[in-house]
Amino acid sequence: MRIANGKDFWAGLMFVAFGLAFMIIAAENYSMGTAVRMGPAYFPTVLGGMLAILGGFILFNGFVSKQAHPWKAFPFRAWYFVGGLILGVVAYYTQTFFHGFGIAGEAAHTILSGVAILLLFAAFGERSLWVILFAVVIFGYLLKPLGLVVAIGALVYVSAWGGHEFKVKEATILFVVLAIFSVASFVHGLGLPMNVWPSLWE
Amino acid sequence: MEAIVTNLGIGFGVALSVQNLLYCLLGVLLGTLIGVLPGIGPVATIAMLLPVTFTLNPTSALIMLAGIYYGAQYGGSTTAILVNIPGESSSVVTCLDGYQMARQGRAGPALGIAAIGSFFAGCVSTCVIALFAPPLAEVALKFGPAEYFSLMVLGLVAATVLAHGSLLKAIAMVIFGLLLGLVGTDVNSGVARFSFGVSELSDGIGFVSVAMGVFGFAEIIANLEQKEKREIFTKKVTNLLPTLQDFKDSWASILRGTALGAALGILPGGGALLASFAAYTLEKKVSKNSAMFGKGAIQGVAAPESANNAGAQTSFIPLLTLGIPSNPVMALMIGAMMIQGIAPGPQVMTERPQLFWGMIASMWVGNLMLVVLNLPMIGMWIKLLTVPYRLLYPSILVFCCIGVYSISNSPFDVMQTAVFGVVGFVFTKLECEPAPLILGFILGPLMEENLRRAMLLSRGDPLVFFQRPISLAMLIVAGFLLAIVLAPAVRKKREEAFVEA
Repeated sequence: MRIANGKDFWAGLMFVAFGLAFMIIAAENYSMGTAVRMGPAYFPTVLGGMLAILGGFILFNGFVSKQAHPWKAFPFRAWYFVGGLILGVVAYYTQTFFHGFGIAGEAAHTILSGVAILLLFAAFGERSLWVILFAVVIFGYLLKPLGLVVAIGALVYVSAWGGHEFKVKEATILFVVLAIFSVASFVHGLGLPMNVWPSLWE
Repeated sequence: MEAIVTNLGIGFGVALSVQNLLYCLLGVLLGTLIGVLPGIGPVATIAMLLPVTFTLNPTSALIMLAGIYYGAQYGGSTTAILVNIPGESSSVVTCLDGYQMARQGRAGPALGIAAIGSFFAGCVSTCVIALFAPPLAEVALKFGPAEYFSLMVLGLVAATVLAHGSLLKAIAMVIFGLLLGLVGTDVNSGVARFSFGVSELSDGIGFVSVAMGVFGFAEIIANLEQKEKREIFTKKVTNLLPTLQDFKDSWASILRGTALGAALGILPGGGALLASFAAYTLEKKVSKNSAMFGKGAIQGVAAPESANNAGAQTSFIPLLTLGIPSNPVMALMIGAMMIQGIAPGPQVMTERPQLFWGMIASMWVGNLMLVVLNLPMIGMWIKLLTVPYRLLYPSILVFCCIGVYSISNSPFDVMQTAVFGVVGFVFTKLECEPAPLILGFILGPLMEENLRRAMLLSRGDPLVFFQRPISLAMLIVAGFLLAIVLAPAVRKKREEAFVEA
């Protein structure tokens, strides 16, 4: 058997995996109930089963389809993904351990989780994808401790670097304009509760 | 009839208040501003601007969102005509003749007739909504859980039938969406499902995160992958007013487009996309000189533009009366209503007449604003088109991120949105259309709730869905739709139609 249509193959595999995952998690952890009084597991189990079956058909289509698509439907680095997953699990379970060391521990834990996230995103090879989404995540985590201006700076520089042409001067002008506009309209205008500058200063 | 006049009176009273006029204007302007950017359609625009409306009261928020929708659609047609890049699938057909007109130096009349046609269609469909919504809502009030469940099945089936590409994948995406919608605390038992101990997930997956990630971020990334090549033919658009001959050529097309669009918009799964395609095909059929189509026929701009605006507006009917979204834009609207604490459904009209009629009246106001404001401002939009994308996308990202963060002031939502950005990227690469997913996501909890109630009332007898006449009729229509799409002849035609697009 050769994979004729890579897109169908991976899509089918994805649907089968998610369908089974929803089904198994629901059936293992929540009560089924009866058709008259459906428990929390009833609907997800049925839907998960349907999704898995449909996924099976799509997967099968991947072998017999007349439309040819290469086996590699999108750039994917499996080892990055596995590494990110392992680091992520480690970070998840060691949170309390790290936080025992005060601010330094918290910072170390943040860096560890950051690397895990970066690896997971970078597993999907497209540069524009992982750089931009990582810039978004950085923004989210910097906003509270370092304030809006620094967070916007990080987002603008990193995401601009993710594109095809990156010019420091251009990005700097963009950063200044966006920072002034956002502080004026969102913090002062709409009154969103956000730090403008790092919280240590205020 | 009198009731309609009084109701519209209430509506205009609400819509014409200074505050609401301002939000409508802001919505229309912001919508056009984002919608005019190439490659960003109404769904992405609304997803990006959703958080901005959260601080407003429900009526103003929905008025502003509706304004954003029309603005985005109008902006999309502008890009289609001037740059030949459709902002979304419903302006694909506008590209065919609109861009040719622009190449012949007639960009002005093309934009003009699109605006005038849209405005006319907007006026007519506002009346259609005012006429049809109340009786439909009355019927809907009699619906039991079984009818609702079947209606949702019909809506979802219709949405998959109209999706691009593989039908199997579209159905799988709907079910995947339904499952994602179930994440979070189960209302009946209080069990937090699929939350893996993450406290943020026990409230469910954030609706804005899914919409912005899968539509917004995924579109930005997809646009970045393509090398920039934009050809703007018209540095300066002069004489926007179409000539008398243009009007003579196109008034009938505007009428036909409006009628067809308004009718198709009401159907579940319908809306702007179907309307514009059908209108273009119809025009080509009835026209005496169909050879001119694709070479800059003004009818080829007038008809689909009128139709997509009419369809966009009448697709609010199922939303406002049944509480069922018929397309992804309406799914976003329902999400916004829920966030504002309004349970969508037929009771909205009776319980919150101010909101219901105010929104309808504001649709007309919004359309008027588009014509009056945007025709003179066209020069500004063209300037915006010349701004390089490498400056635009970081700016869009900043506004998106601030918006998402402000939902609950936590990095979690931002993180969640980024994850859905990856998911959206994978979907695009695997040719899985995300529109059915978002419909399923919105309908997941509603469907489960109605299924549970229906089964409880029938004491566990699943035949209840076939015994109640309205429910049975809807299931038959759903089955019929699936059957015709699966029939080999239609299947081939459908694939061809989407390939052409």
